[in-house]
Amino acid sequence: MAEPKLRILMVSDFFFPNFGGVENHIYYLSQCLLNLGHKVVVMTHAYGNRTGVRYMTGGLKVYYVPWRPFTMQNTFPTVYGTLPIVRTILKRERITVVHGHQAFSTLCHEALMHARTMGYRVVFTDHSLYGFADVGSIHMNKVLQFTLADIDQAICVSHTSKENTVLRSGLAPGKVFMIPNAVDTAMFKPADVRPSSDDVITIVVISRLVYRKGADLLVEVIPEVCRLYPNVRFVVGGDGPKHVRLEEMREKHSLQDRVEMLGAVPHSRVRYVLVTGGIFLNSSLTEAFCIAILEAASCGLLTVSTRVGGVLPDDMVVLAEPDPDDMVRAIEKAISILPSINPEEMHNRMTKLYSWQDVAKRTEIVYDRALKCSNRSLLERLSRFLSCGAWAGKVFCMVMIIDYLLWRLLQLLQPDDDIEEAPEINFCN
Amino acid sequence: MDNNLAGDSPPPPPPPPPPPRPKWRKVAYGGMQIGYDDNYTDETFLEEMVMNANVVRRDLLKVMKDSISISQYLCIVALVVLVWFHTLQSSLDETSLLLLDLSLLALGFLVLLLTEEKMLSLRLLLRYVTNITFFTTGLYVLAPVYQTLTRSISSDSIWAVTVSLLLLHLFLHDYSGSTIRAPGALKSPSLTSCISVNASVVASVFVASRLPSRGHVFAVMLFSLQVFLFAPLVAYCIKKFSFGLHLGFSFALMGLTMYSVYALHRLFFVLFLVLVVVVNVVCPYWLIRMQEYKFEINGPWDEAKLCFDITD
Repeated sequence: MAEPKLRILMVSDFFFPNFGGVENHIYYLSQCLLNLGHKVVVMTHAYGNRTGVRYMTGGLKVYYVPWRPFTMQNTFPTVYGTLPIVRTILKRERITVVHGHQAFSTLCHEALMHARTMGYRVVFTDHSLYGFADVGSIHMNKVLQFTLADIDQAICVSHTSKENTVLRSGLAPGKVFMIPNAVDTAMFKPADVRPSSDDVITIVVISRLVYRKGADLLVEVIPEVCRLYPNVRFVVGGDGPKHVRLEEMREKHSLQDRVEMLGAVPHSRVRYVLVTGGIFLNSSLTEAFCIAILEAASCGLLTVSTRVGGVLPDDMVVLAEPDPDDMVRAIEKAISILPSINPEEMHNRMTKLYSWQDVAKRTEIVYDRALKCSNRSLLERLSRFLSCGAWAGKVFCMVMIIDYLLWRLLQLLQPDDDIEEAPEINFCN
Repeated sequence: MDNNLAGDSPPPPPPPPPPPRPKWRKVAYGGMQIGYDDNYTDETFLEEMVMNANVVRRDLLKVMKDSISISQYLCIVALVVLVWFHTLQSSLDETSLLLLDLSLLALGFLVLLLTEEKMLSLRLLLRYVTNITFFTTGLYVLAPVYQTLTRSISSDSIWAVTVSLLLLHLFLHDYSGSTIRAPGALKSPSLTSCISVNASVVASVFVASRLPSRGHVFAVMLFSLQVFLFAPLVAYCIKKFSFGLHLGFSFALMGLTMYSVYALHRLFFVLFLVLVVVVNVVCPYWLIRMQEYKFEINGPWDEAKLCFDITD
């Protein structure tokens, strides 16, 4: 087998068996990079009894580092505690590029800091949007400023996310690449048999029923639409605190036969639920990048959504303001253009608009760019941290100096040559 | 000599110019855009950002006028502490305290009657009178309990706790309104204003428990509770009725307090004067100076605000 072109370490607190957008992104991106001939290793924290090294499809090696999560799937931030294990993994796998995911992940920040100290190339991907005004966001933004002060390249998943990240971290816009998420179109195909064109129009909603995803808007919109269109029914999948409000709405307007509540839908059944409908409704109040819409469009559904401009072409999505009247108007427009939609054609278009292979190729370009960045000495890097703030700059410099000294100490105690390199294992694809 | 011997062939046509690259679109679909890198940033970057949209621009004179409510309340609390001090030193006896209580009660009622625009019906007044009677009777009955409440606690602990509770009360007090509202008021009291009322009540209980006789205890408790519970309401009614009256009332209170504190001790007078000047002059000026650093960022990444109320 030819020597891999790049050796990439993906670091994040969020990986399988936990389920979500970031986890999916890391997995699919890693698989496509493996297909392109690179070597990919993933590092995350232990999940329950799942610690140690595991191998996933295609030879993806995952290190479940034995650190327990302490809140919201994040490891406890010990700043220097992860230095030995990160150094061991980087040396064993002969990594060339370290790629961290998600600003909320403490393991990611720590690993990126250690990787920079040891002179590796570092890339960071941000998956979420944050505000500027509340205490949690201010703290998070300062941590992000620290990590991104010394980074080689950054990736954001949408243009809104790029603007948000640049404002939060003070990074130059030219260093931030916009590479969107994608969808596995092979898994999300339209129904083989189109439902007979009887008059019933089914609108599907699949989201967590929380405030942030606009569940309150659903409570206002669903009765109004059911009143205006007697032939429309709703299918609501997902669970959350606002479940109770939706049940109350059903009772109040006697919509038990027209609104079906499915509860939590496992990801393997999402496609089955989606193909029962003709329109997909997304009412989230804020979204960095909405993958649910891509899955729906790949299944051939017309989307009605709030706040996700630029994700789908204008003929595949009807946009609305997060206001009940405007959403009802958008649903009316969607119902009127629904007969002209061809699910197969929409699915074929989606395969060309979004694919993980394309994302992997674009990410490869970012890695090449990162590798071309010059290697800076410690003193030059410290000057970048000083610009982070009057007090914060000096604190960050101290943190990096101590990290450097600890690294040298570790090199003294366990020299680099003593760390055994992991053998390459060929997986027949 | 570079003529072509085979014949006259025309020179090859110049290569066509490369097609102009298509305009960059701010969209996420369709893969990499031809001719542009993924980190391309054009002039529409940060176009939708809005800065300082909801910031209230303040005026120095208005802030100073608003800060008078704070110094007015500080004077009221200082007067209460003075009465406590004089009672503990036995300069004030029971009868004069009881007279003070009754006159304050009558004055407070008078102010409420005169300044309330809504008709204070006879039934409402009767309800107030019944409540006050119950309250006073309850206090009188419980006075012996309060008297012996802290007998086993040393005096300096009591003074330390009282001072800390009063400071807590001043910090958490709701200076913009009143915790006890006239019936029909819309805003319910917040958590911090309830905590501050409780702190002041407990401080009064601690001080009252150090007094020699039951009569003293009852009179001081009645006085303290009257002032802490009802003075904010009275001050609020006066302020709502007429701003000039509010200013006059505040200045009169300030004068009275300064005179009483001066009669007590010079040092406290100086400290109190400095405090009032800081609250009324220095702090408003500082607030106005800090305004220019305000930087509020809004944009398409913000969570949308729902335009309707969520009623559960």
